[in-house]
Amino acid sequence: MSEFPKLTYDILTVGEEFVSDTHLVTPEDIETYAFAVDDHHPWFSGPSPFGGPVAHPTLLGNQALHLRHGKYIVHAGLHAKMEFNFLEPVEPGMRVRSRGRVIDKYERRGRQYMVTEFVTEDEAGTALVRGQFTQMLIPEGTRHGSR
Amino acid sequence: MAVAEAIPVGQELPALVKELSQRRIDAYSGVRPRSIHSDEAWAREKGFRTTLAQGMMSTAYVSEMMTRLLGAGFVKGGTLSIAFIKPVYAGDRLTVHGVVRETRPEGAGMRVVVEVWCENQGGEKTAVGSASGLAPSP
Repeated sequence: MSEFPKLTYDILTVGEEFVSDTHLVTPEDIETYAFAVDDHHPWFSGPSPFGGPVAHPTLLGNQALHLRHGKYIVHAGLHAKMEFNFLEPVEPGMRVRSRGRVIDKYERRGRQYMVTEFVTEDEAGTALVRGQFTQMLIPEGTRHGSR
Repeated sequence: MAVAEAIPVGQELPALVKELSQRRIDAYSGVRPRSIHSDEAWAREKGFRTTLAQGMMSTAYVSEMMTRLLGAGFVKGGTLSIAFIKPVYAGDRLTVHGVVRETRPEGAGMRVVVEVWCENQGGEKTAVGSASGLAPSP
């Protein structure tokens, strides 16, 4: 059985790796995402230049962003930066998984940050999306306050 | 006219306007306790005036703008780099802007680079960055 320690700046190690579970991309995922971001492009539910429907390119961003939740209890955080490289279209029916690695952590103006690079792949191991993101840690017992 | 010819540097893209309702935030982020996105009391405890939209929602808006501009050349071959500089709250209205800053040959096509940013209803920038994608060559 896995233990989930609380994520703190000190416990986090540059070089540590994360992996998500495999997720089946469904038409319902795409429909829900379309509602959430109010983007109902016809390619998301019908023919596209790639053949059948494709997903919003950013659909799987949260699978990558939540990688650390598979290893730690995350008290609170803020997303500071996001980079995507969309390599191949994401299609319904794909089984996808994200892997990530912490490539940096730093403190700036009293705030703590972690930087993770990631790749999201289909079940054949084809890279669909690569990128990296920076997340601010909000330590337990503290307030971030409005900026 | 080829797509690349129709995208001059300096062109301002049609702005997108997005209403950030709690219902859409919930659909994006899921609903759970102790989440700054869906638990208002928790968000206040963490120092925010109400729940926040995920920054990632703004990347989706930029993606929509770029897909409208470049179509398949953004879905496959697109890039996006965004810094989230101010919180976006439930109830905010964002306007997404883009201006073409560069076109350069890449492979059989042209890479189109766009400066992008989001502003809230008060005119404050909430996210800034760039996005790019491939347009067919003339």
